[in-house]
Amino acid sequence: MKTAIKTFFNFIHRQQDRDAETRGTFLAKSENFRLLLAANNKALETMAEMQEATRSGSVLGIAHVRAQSLKVAAGVRQMIERLCRMAPGKYEELRGVFNDIVQSMDQTLNAQAARPTGPLILYMADIRAGSMPETGSKMALLGEVRSALGVNVPDGFAVTASAFHLFMERTRLADEINRLIQIHGCRDLEELRALEESIRRAIDLAPLPPELETAMRTACERMGDPLLAVRSSALGEDSERASYAGQFLSKLGVRPRRLPDAYRAVLASLYSATAMTYTLNRGLREDEMVMPVGCMEMVRAAAGGVAYTRFPMGNNGRRIVINAVPGLPCAVVDGSSQADSWVIDRKTMEVLDREIAEKSVRYVLRSDGSVGKEKVYGEACMAPAISETDALRLARTAARIEEHFKHPQDIEWALSRDGRITILQCRPLAVCRFPVSPPPDNDADRPFTLLSGCIPASPGAASGYVFKVGTDDDMLRFPDGAVLLARNARPQLSALLPRASALVTEYGSAAGHLANVSREFGIPALIGAPGAMERLSGVSIVTVNGSTGTIYLGHRQQQIHDAAERNEPRKPTNVTQALESVLTFISPLNLTDPESPDFRPDRCRTLHDIARFCHEKGVAEMFAGGRRPEGSARRLKAGRTMQYWLVDIGGGTSGSDDDKTISLEDVRSNVMQALWKGMTAVQWEGPPPVCVKGFISVLTSAAQNPALSPGAANAMGERSYFIVGRNYCNLQSRFGFHFCTIEGFAGDDPNENYALFQFQGGGADMLRRNARARLVADILELHGFIVEVRDDALFARLEGVSRQAAEQAMAMLGYLLMHTRQIDMVMADPEAILRYRKRFETDIETLMAEMGHEPGTARCAS
Amino acid sequence: MKKIRLLLVDDEKDFLTAYSRRFIRRNAEVTIASSGPEALDRIGETDFDVVILDVMMPEMNGIETLRRIKAAAPDLPVIILTGHADHKTLIQGMDMGAFDFLLKPVGTDELFFKVMDAVKSRSRTRS
Repeated sequence: MKTAIKTFFNFIHRQQDRDAETRGTFLAKSENFRLLLAANNKALETMAEMQEATRSGSVLGIAHVRAQSLKVAAGVRQMIERLCRMAPGKYEELRGVFNDIVQSMDQTLNAQAARPTGPLILYMADIRAGSMPETGSKMALLGEVRSALGVNVPDGFAVTASAFHLFMERTRLADEINRLIQIHGCRDLEELRALEESIRRAIDLAPLPPELETAMRTACERMGDPLLAVRSSALGEDSERASYAGQFLSKLGVRPRRLPDAYRAVLASLYSATAMTYTLNRGLREDEMVMPVGCMEMVRAAAGGVAYTRFPMGNNGRRIVINAVPGLPCAVVDGSSQADSWVIDRKTMEVLDREIAEKSVRYVLRSDGSVGKEKVYGEACMAPAISETDALRLARTAARIEEHFKHPQDIEWALSRDGRITILQCRPLAVCRFPVSPPPDNDADRPFTLLSGCIPASPGAASGYVFKVGTDDDMLRFPDGAVLLARNARPQLSALLPRASALVTEYGSAAGHLANVSREFGIPALIGAPGAMERLSGVSIVTVNGSTGTIYLGHRQQQIHDAAERNEPRKPTNVTQALESVLTFISPLNLTDPESPDFRPDRCRTLHDIARFCHEKGVAEMFAGGRRPEGSARRLKAGRTMQYWLVDIGGGTSGSDDDKTISLEDVRSNVMQALWKGMTAVQWEGPPPVCVKGFISVLTSAAQNPALSPGAANAMGERSYFIVGRNYCNLQSRFGFHFCTIEGFAGDDPNENYALFQFQGGGADMLRRNARARLVADILELHGFIVEVRDDALFARLEGVSRQAAEQAMAMLGYLLMHTRQIDMVMADPEAILRYRKRFETDIETLMAEMGHEPGTARCAS
Repeated sequence: MKKIRLLLVDDEKDFLTAYSRRFIRRNAEVTIASSGPEALDRIGETDFDVVILDVMMPEMNGIETLRRIKAAAPDLPVIILTGHADHKTLIQGMDMGAFDFLLKPVGTDELFFKVMDAVKSRSRTRS
């Protein structure tokens, strides 16, 4: 930067060498320079966002990382193009350097495992644990227990990972899905729902490759065309690292000819709003998700449920828990009904505990193949779903499965009318390391207890406002940090978990999908808290203790504190890893010294290096070099000499060029005259009285940002430069912490006329600086400018207006420049903002009137 | 103000309608084309100030379209606007002389400023 400023000064002060450039060439050059600076800002800004994301861990997914790196690259490439135009033939080498870096970035982001090219279908009889990369874990583990333990599993086949890739590549769905993820936002549930919809439509429209459709048909025929359960078996699903519990779709009762549609539907669930929330929050790469699908014969279950070979909330290592409902087991897993439960000692096979729940509904397979919900009446409500003998048989099978995998298991089972046990699914069970403890006896918070004895489903304690979620609309309105309260533990609610402080549901089980996801996200949860909907209604803040099963009124710090030490630190995720590795090609700055012999294109190793190089050379090309515009810098004098300097590029001044000063009367540029009028029309009263907070905010910002330190400001000498022509003026100014460009052209042809305002910086914190930029933006928009505000930067343009309107606009910009520069300090005070705004508007009206025109007549381009 | 004559090329109908409506409000004269060949036809008929070009299109992709546009009208500025964050396209497009490369989604203001930059840069370079 220093060197850049030095060259700038050399240019301004050198008097000899009148070898002039034409006005057109100069204008073209300054236009390229302006575009170079704009591209530089944008690239650095995006770079900063990416670095910030690695610090805060707030990454949005790999599509976002890819888009951001490409935005930086596009900005840097734009800088190269502009620099090459400013000085043709001198810097062409940069393009090759750039292309090499970008290629390395691309390789880093696309570092994926080789695609499998196996069979499209694998039959259950041929599937083992080792088939996992092709079949996903769900099918692989079923195949494994069948062959290794002789356990009964449904007949069926897997549509493999190879089939998935074939489908995705052949139909170009992979590209299309990446595109849809990029162009939709992923910031909230509403955006994710829209994304889900678009992706589902794209998948629905994609034809299955004929060989895949044939393979599916053959496989079904081989089984005798039974009704199928079509289930997700995504790669990585059910792993210890990420359970994806309940995120993906299962289609039950599917007729073989409907299989292709069911297959598409299951694939689409990979990108449902719920699953995407999970993926993004776990930092998994959405472009690496692969969905093999399991197709299995439907089991006509008399009863079904889940078996846990350990107690999911820790403690009690000897206990096996069996949950059972009448009918199909879906009611247990989706949390829609209470289930019976047996607790069995794994050593003695003795029933330790037995709880028969009141069951209100059950799921049945209807004769037409559809799955229906039935109400359960009378005695059946309280009848056990299975006999104790069956519970013990299940416990034994479950124990064998655990022994085989040497890890606690979560097993879904079905019992047919003829008494056969079929294992529908088994997967590693995430067991909480921290034991459940009852509230201590000397619990000082006890008087505030709202509910106790709820089933702990995820440890820890947190407080927040209670927010009841019943409908889909409630989900969209869910406020950040609230306690999520719902009747049933529906897996769809997991989309809200990253934003919830705690979870409470009346029904469901501590081992269901939702409980699983709460534990993965580390959110305290109570599932099975009967009466919670009623007890918590009308209550504002509660504290939920997921370790003890208690809910308290208000914020109970002690509970939260006691539970806090139990949090495990988050591990780096796939996406943050990808982000960090791509950043090594983007952000490190190696070219630090422009005077060094190493300051040259072939020493650029990152995009930041190239940006730095282009910026430095751009300044040099603009203000140094042998050929310069006519006239050199003269100091402006209006009564007294000022810190304003003027460069005439032709026709902007009268009188002698030889003087070192120039008086305002000699300025012929109508645009500069208008600008100057605006700058001086109303006396600036000096900086606003500083409130202590605003002032401290200035000091803190200055201390944090070396570019804002007083030294850097002094390097520029607080000087401002007018570059003028007959109908043209460009003001580059720097006041303390503020950088500003005002440029305008006002001639007879409205098509050529424009006014442009760029403003950035300030001493106060970003919040205040942003508020100031918005204030200025509001005023400019009133006068027809198109304005964009990003953080503290403001870009405004007015185009294609009459000569008078362009002059007026310049006057207004001059006024705003002088009067808004230090008010950022008071911008935290809404009343002050309003007061300033009123004053500015009145002043501007007066100014316009003085210029002999109706106030506010600058006509809008739109 | 003399209207900016803008050619929008994209195979996505929703995109074309949304953006042409917004640009017409900004006083631009918008012509739309939903494929590369159609864009080339339009360019043969009308003298545009600027082109906004999508990349992934059936029939003829954006890069090939850009190559032919540059052959027919070398100094007509073309802004690439794509939903595919693809490094190759960036390099190829810029090597072929695209004015700039933007990623969807892009704000209307940001895109319009870019359009004005392109138009202005062209008139400056010509003079």
